[in-house]
Amino acid sequence: MYRYDALDAEMLADRTAEFRTQVGRRVAGELTEEQFKPLRLMNGLYLQLHAYMLRIAIPYGTLTSRKLHRLAHISRVYSRGYGHFTTRCNLQLHWIKLKDTPDILDLLAEVGLHSIQTSGNCIRNITADPYAGANAEEVDDPRVWSETIRQWSTFHPEFSFLPRKFKIAVGAAPDDRTAARIYDIGLKLRRNREGQLGFEVMVGGGLGRTPYLAPTIREFLPTKDLLSYLAAILRVYNRYGRRDNIWKARIKILVASLGAEQFARQVEAEWKTMTQSGEAARIDAPEAEVARIRRAFGTTPFKDLPAVSEAFEAAKAADPAFARFVRHNVLPHKVPGYAIVTISLKAPGEVPGDCSSDQMDAIADLAERYSFDEARNHFEQNLVLPHVALDDLPAVYAELERIGLATPNIGLATDIIACPGLDYCTLANARAIPIAQDIARRFADPAVAEEVGELRIKISGCINACGQHHVGHIGILGVDKKGEEFYQLTLGGSGLEDARLGEILGPALPGPRVAEAVDVLVDTYMKERAEGERFVDTFRRIGLAPFKAAVYAEAH
Amino acid sequence: MQKLIKLDQGRPAWVEDSFLDVPDEEPTPGQGDVLVSFARFQEEGEALAAAGRKVGVRLKADEPVEALAPFLDRVAVVALAFPKFRDGRQYSQAVLLRDRYGYTGELRAVGDVLLEQGRFMVRCGFDAFVPADGTAPDDWVGALARYRYVYQTAVDRREPNFALRLRAAEGA
Amino acid sequence: MSDVPAKPVLFKGVTGNRLADGEVVFWADGAWRERFADIQLFDDPASADAALARAKAQPTVIVDPYLIDVRFDDGLPVPVAYRERVRALGPTIHPDMGKQTEGGAVVDAIVHASGAARSAGRINLIKR
Repeated sequence: MYRYDALDAEMLADRTAEFRTQVGRRVAGELTEEQFKPLRLMNGLYLQLHAYMLRIAIPYGTLTSRKLHRLAHISRVYSRGYGHFTTRCNLQLHWIKLKDTPDILDLLAEVGLHSIQTSGNCIRNITADPYAGANAEEVDDPRVWSETIRQWSTFHPEFSFLPRKFKIAVGAAPDDRTAARIYDIGLKLRRNREGQLGFEVMVGGGLGRTPYLAPTIREFLPTKDLLSYLAAILRVYNRYGRRDNIWKARIKILVASLGAEQFARQVEAEWKTMTQSGEAARIDAPEAEVARIRRAFGTTPFKDLPAVSEAFEAAKAADPAFARFVRHNVLPHKVPGYAIVTISLKAPGEVPGDCSSDQMDAIADLAERYSFDEARNHFEQNLVLPHVALDDLPAVYAELERIGLATPNIGLATDIIACPGLDYCTLANARAIPIAQDIARRFADPAVAEEVGELRIKISGCINACGQHHVGHIGILGVDKKGEEFYQLTLGGSGLEDARLGEILGPALPGPRVAEAVDVLVDTYMKERAEGERFVDTFRRIGLAPFKAAVYAEAH
Repeated sequence: MQKLIKLDQGRPAWVEDSFLDVPDEEPTPGQGDVLVSFARFQEEGEALAAAGRKVGVRLKADEPVEALAPFLDRVAVVALAFPKFRDGRQYSQAVLLRDRYGYTGELRAVGDVLLEQGRFMVRCGFDAFVPADGTAPDDWVGALARYRYVYQTAVDRREPNFALRLRAAEGA
Repeated sequence: MSDVPAKPVLFKGVTGNRLADGEVVFWADGAWRERFADIQLFDDPASADAALARAKAQPTVIVDPYLIDVRFDDGLPVPVAYRERVRALGPTIHPDMGKQTEGGAVVDAIVHASGAARSAGRINLIKR
């Protein structure tokens, strides 16, 4: 866990002091709302349907118990006792007051948390693989690089007024758990044939009105060149990205209009000039600094444990519910005797991704006691305890059950991703949460969900696609049809290593018919599936027609 | 005469603007320093310089600095125009002017220039400002001093945190 | 005799969010009220526009005020647009939060209102 040093802390302190001043100028009328809005957005403060919403950054999704306790406290005192974990690994608090926000930022800064650049046309929170440090296949810890990029991108004077927002993800394993291809820049750590460490650089992914998967513009970039190369990409974007139409302003549009090769050429040309002039050398983080960041993450003092834990095996044999939890929510760890535990925030009937203040406190205690004081949040809106000893798993499970967070459904039909939608968000056309709740109730029986198997359902309340519906096995998009809530379904998308966009099923359905339609889709899959096929595999084999026929026949 | 804010060894102060801002629709006056569009500069720049007058060039956000670069030795002021404060193209233009093309004259921010963006502008190499929000040098002193440290290198060559850390480690 | 139902009579009201705390508020004779039931309604465009202009002249009190359409269901005022109903009530998934907790006849009428129209007051889709 990267420990902020005195300089990092001073940056946060100066930032909150600045925002306090800016709020004062706004309230005194020295700044218009138009002038103030980008400033408050760059501190993650939105004005939504019911109140302000504060988006708190969880840098590369890593939390300690101290941070979680503080988030619990803030959500209790300044919100209504809960928070919402997002698809971008941030925490959103609704019901926030502008006048309280400087105090909230001070409280966050005390524990090394902040809301810097979680909105606005600037470089946003850098994400990383949620299983960093626990995953046997990673070639390096991606968080070291996420932190390196975080520092370089914070208050960057040249890149704080981009055409549009900018999101970067860093992964380090062959299995993509960062959804890198739907990012503005996806970086994948790898080694070249000589064993040198570097990045595959993908640029121009994004969802929304015009979804694109990012092409690779550089197969291998040595790590020492990371920041200057990013600067070259950002500079090309800052200069040539469209500013005439907000729907065409992301870098994905620039990459698509130039074509990946031409775009890559421009970046390489800019970068070459930067290296020749000495600018790149000034920008790149010195090796000593990267080493310092790496050391500041510390090393986890894993114990020497046997690969097999008798207590764990016995508990599985004795308790089928625990065994089911292990089947779905527990992953192998690179260190023998340990496991990665995913805490589902998707109990059927609850709001997907929401976590109460009391639950945050309890998870903080679990992290401290059983996971070397570390928790993570996952872009699928769940939390992770990355380093749990198998011996301790039964106790962790018991505690999760006590706080209502032991749903054994990771990757299953009830593990739904949903944005806040029209219940909270000014941008939404339709509600997303009630749709998620309806669907989840139909698959609430864990045996049923397990029988159906892996099914990633993603719901967005509008075309901005915060629910990432384009990359759901079943994607659901809320649209406004003559003022009523309608939903368009897509099938076969994926945001992971098999990245692709979903195909439209048919005409949009009215809200009350959506959960029923999902039932019909699942029934069709169950009838047609071959041995070992997930929903998405069957779809890719048999195509859209059988699913479409089933849903639209049923609708009449 | 118009005033603008100019950095004097990093400290903002009012100065008289000796340059007359000449719109394209109007003829260049017979004498005095002038600030003209890039198109006008291409037509009349040589003549004005020959007459011993100081010339400044205004660049719009979509007029690339590369086109002006060969003529920088004849230019006393480059004014980069911000059409809206949210349009950040001129930050990159400023960086290129200073670092890539070695421009050492006055680099002026004009257009929708607001106090809250001052610190970004200074780091990118601007040293003169025509504020659009009625703010004065005293306001700018405060705004520019808000951050004691910086994370990244920029035109202003303030030592970034990683350099401070290295020095501290070496000294230890 | 035509079977086409009469178009509902529409009124206008002014709404916005309070700057200091983001609370949804409604204009009533120069003051800002938290309950939708207290909203002042205008039946002609000129007076609605005049009220909106006065609201916009309070930039340190209210953020981005705009006009909304209101109709009467069984004698009770109800916002026409779905989004405005959510603003007048609170999140539909948390009946224990927001303005809806106050209850009352108008809240009930909004909860049970059916049909909708495009929000007349929809402002920029993306808050820059």
